[in-house]
Amino acid sequence: MRSALLKPFWWSIKNRFLPPGKVPFKTIGAALFSLAICLVIYLLSIKVIGYFHRQNELGIILSLKIFQMAWITLFAMLIFSCMVSAVSTLFLSEDNEIIFASPSPPAEIYFMRYITTSVYTSWMMIVFSLPVFAAYGQVFQADMLYWLFLGITVAATSAIATAFGMLLTVILVTLFPARRTKDIILYLSLLFGIFIYIMFRLMRPEDLVNPDKYVQFVDYLSTISKPAGPYVPAAWAANFLSLYLLDRQIDWLLFSLIVISPFSLFFLGEWAMERMFFSGYTKSQESFGGYRSFASHLKYRLSVWQWSFSKEAKTFIRDSAEWSQLFMIGALVVVYLYNFKSLPVNRSIFEEEYVTNLISFLNIGLTGFIITSLSARFVYPSIGTEGGAFYHIRSAPISITRFLLYKFLFYAVPFTILALLLVIASDRLLNIEGPMWWFSVITTLVITWTVVAMALGFGAMHADFKAENRAAALGSMGAILYLFTAMGFQLAIIFCGALPAYRLVRNWLKGMDLLASDIAILIGWSLASLLLAAGVSLFFFRKGVKRLENFG
Amino acid sequence: MQENGNNTDAGPRLAIRNLTKSFGSYKAVNDISLTIQGGEIFGFLGPNGAGKTTTIKMIAGLLKPDTGSIAINGHSLAEKPQHCKKITGYIPDRPYLYEKLTGLEFLQFMASLYQLLPEQYNKHVPHFMNLFDLTDWQNHLIESYSHGMRQKLIITAAFMLEPPLIIVDEPMVGLDPKSAKIVKELFKNHARQGRTIFLSTHSLEIAEELCDQIAIITTGRIITTGNLATLRKEAKLQDSGLEDIFLELTGAYELHEVIAALRNEHSTSQ
Repeated sequence: MRSALLKPFWWSIKNRFLPPGKVPFKTIGAALFSLAICLVIYLLSIKVIGYFHRQNELGIILSLKIFQMAWITLFAMLIFSCMVSAVSTLFLSEDNEIIFASPSPPAEIYFMRYITTSVYTSWMMIVFSLPVFAAYGQVFQADMLYWLFLGITVAATSAIATAFGMLLTVILVTLFPARRTKDIILYLSLLFGIFIYIMFRLMRPEDLVNPDKYVQFVDYLSTISKPAGPYVPAAWAANFLSLYLLDRQIDWLLFSLIVISPFSLFFLGEWAMERMFFSGYTKSQESFGGYRSFASHLKYRLSVWQWSFSKEAKTFIRDSAEWSQLFMIGALVVVYLYNFKSLPVNRSIFEEEYVTNLISFLNIGLTGFIITSLSARFVYPSIGTEGGAFYHIRSAPISITRFLLYKFLFYAVPFTILALLLVIASDRLLNIEGPMWWFSVITTLVITWTVVAMALGFGAMHADFKAENRAAALGSMGAILYLFTAMGFQLAIIFCGALPAYRLVRNWLKGMDLLASDIAILIGWSLASLLLAAGVSLFFFRKGVKRLENFG
Repeated sequence: MQENGNNTDAGPRLAIRNLTKSFGSYKAVNDISLTIQGGEIFGFLGPNGAGKTTTIKMIAGLLKPDTGSIAINGHSLAEKPQHCKKITGYIPDRPYLYEKLTGLEFLQFMASLYQLLPEQYNKHVPHFMNLFDLTDWQNHLIESYSHGMRQKLIITAAFMLEPPLIIVDEPMVGLDPKSAKIVKELFKNHARQGRTIFLSTHSLEIAEELCDQIAIITTGRIITTGNLATLRKEAKLQDSGLEDIFLELTGAYELHEVIAALRNEHSTSQ
């Protein structure tokens, strides 16, 4: 029965990626593209880690501290991602009616949802993190055992995150007497916000460059093998692998914890499912009763854009699964800015202005990455979530271009505010003034508008009006292609912008005028970036329009 | 599927006792009781929002009742959910199907969920696919199916199991006349074999044509149960069809005034 329940999942994947009777060009292209991205991440990681590694013992410690942070970030994101999709897959999935009407015991339904949620939520994190962790193995010249341990720890961490997220979801959905089950995500998001905050505080990144700690270097080296966060499974994995990388020692206690935890949590979840699922599922159906009423405050006016905006805003605000994630974004902003506040740049061995300007420059990429991720979450599925109602748009006297343009404007405004908040606040915390301030703000704006336009274009090109749930839409081929393309675009802009930014800041800090060649490079890069941004935006936007116009 | 309509399970095919379900302060189903025997087609009628789908979902094991009990072939649904579900087929009003599966893959999946024996699968699936003109489409993805084809596929999935009890919510929506006729014959045939159909519908013609027993539910309460003759007597409309009886019993008699008002409005506008 367990394998029977998983059949639709495997067959859907097979039919989606290897359509019967067709050469899967799209899949091959996406696989090659993904491989190329992984290779780039791997090579870049080797460069960065190798640089640290070549310095001295401090460099090694720093690189391992980053290793730990990467693990904890990965784990936190996995738990959040799993909790968000567990509510959808366990309680709101449309196939629940036929699955639950069948003679399948709750434990087997739990197993099926566990596997599908694990795959939906973990694959992207694993694909992006594996090249980084592999680079550590390469730089530290690890033997075969490291690769085996790496595979086990990555799989176990992902399994722990899924099992924990699902267990918590089953319990919360049963405990909270909420008619609208989706509201539960509000609580989950808040919990996640607190969790990620605590995680980052546990890492104490500011201690890394604290001279007092350097004195105790030997102590520090000896204690690195001890769990940094003894109650956090990701820290077990990070510490276990760090110890192996550093000393080729195996901490069997940590290894046992890593291996046993997924099974323990899984069985706890199964136990909770058997006892609580039916009540939770019943409550989740009650949420469709629609007992809320809304008085309209808007008088009717003949304005397409106003009603388009109003429709978008209302459908967003009235869907608690959507708006409650604003809390998550709030937590993200707080943690993000907190990190800048905690950076002890004044204790750096380099000149403070150089360090802060360098961080501000790198922050453009970080902000861009956040905007891209949020666009993939909110903007990309916004076309597909029109669902069956999209035929109203198709049959209405409004062009698809206008429809998409209104969508773009609707999403561009909040994303611009968020991007500006992130970049200006972090610049303020870093005391950035002069050319780098303008450079970071303008580049961030260009990146934000472009990735939002690209998200809409890709969302239209790959619109799935019948998506089983939002988690499924996020794991679609289109979403993957969007993420890779948007990140490729940002990398190109930032990579090429490094030289003009460096010369601009160097001359400003030294109080020198820019040379003609510097100005030429700056103008050339600006024009090329604007052209590239406009080009990719228009290209994907038009492709999206075309796809929707020909949608049958 | 090992069980069939001739199994020796004790008790009526479906026995509902004092079933109640509330959503907040709203009582969707209010203390209803029903007993349905094998070989019956039981019609469950009522206006929109009367509690039909809520009742059906509770019988299918999709909603937990607040109070009351449901027994299928004498087995309590609350105590033996897996056993009861195994002998019950469910055809929902809006059939969810996996878009990225082919029709045949979907049927294989459903058959394996209900542990249908391979010989039964091999016997029934080609028969029903052929009956519903789905054979040419069986290897196409469901996303390319029309609404009617999806409905036929979900009906096939229920009938291939030959369960003693089939619960149907609005069976004819989206079906062409030929398929609708086939479905009606399938229902009759199913009942002739001693099995039971629990049918919820808005179509009074279908209920009149097919059902041996009818229950009318309104505002969560069953107001009457019986065959057409009993209902006529209750409504004091001896020569009327089910439509008039339904309107009389559900309190929609003011409908005549509404129709008259609409006609008046039309004539004055001309």
